Amino acid sequence: MSEKKRKNVFIEGAILPSFIADAIAKHSTKKDIGAHSIFLGQVRNDVINDMEVKAIDYTAYNEMAEEKFHEIRESAFEKYSLTCMHIYHSLGRVNSGEISLFVFTSSRHRKDAIEACSYIVNRIKEEAPVWGKEIFEDESYIWKQNTP
Amino acid sequence: MKIKILAFGVIADITGKSEWTIENIHHTDELKKHLENLYPRLKNMKYAIAVNLLITSGNFEFTDGVIVALMPPFSGG
Repeated sequence: MSEKKRKNVFIEGAILPSFIADAIAKHSTKKDIGAHSIFLGQVRNDVINDMEVKAIDYTAYNEMAEEKFHEIRESAFEKYSLTCMHIYHSLGRVNSGEISLFVFTSSRHRKDAIEACSYIVNRIKEEAPVWGKEIFEDESYIWKQNTP
Repeated sequence: MKIKILAFGVIADITGKSEWTIENIHHTDELKKHLENLYPRLKNMKYAIAVNLLITSGNFEFTDGVIVALMPPFSGG
């Protein structure tokens, strides 16, 4: 197991645009970076059986998720030449139109940042023990299913 | 032998609880049978079983005190 400190991935509620802006701004001191790639997952107002999704309530198996996020980070650093990487995922309620996943990769040249970002997002969708409950106007819900 | 069960997502809805302890269940096949008897809806469901944070495959033997998580397909992001 790596000695690197575990990073906190989970954020309670939506990930705010100002948080994302700050994260970008913090990189202005790292002048060896030539490319950033960012993925933002936004809660979509799907209509299911005539009812519109107004929010997603996320729960996770925290202990296992932290372990998995760490593993994904390590593996992305091994596979790609990255200067840095940040992953944030919401827990709890996020309204439609708000951001629930923020993946941010930086590298000297664009290829590594872009490919690593996509690699990380795919692995999170497939392997992170996180569950989203899609909540409708009347507070009824169904459990979300990820599209491949 | 005691094991701790954690249920997530739709499985916690079906069982009506997210954490409990059971005794005298020795491996994952026996656990599945036990749960499917109590909660028939689980029979038609796809779910993974993790033991002490690692996802199991095939029939997995428990040891005393393990934490067993019942996990429906993930839907994060």
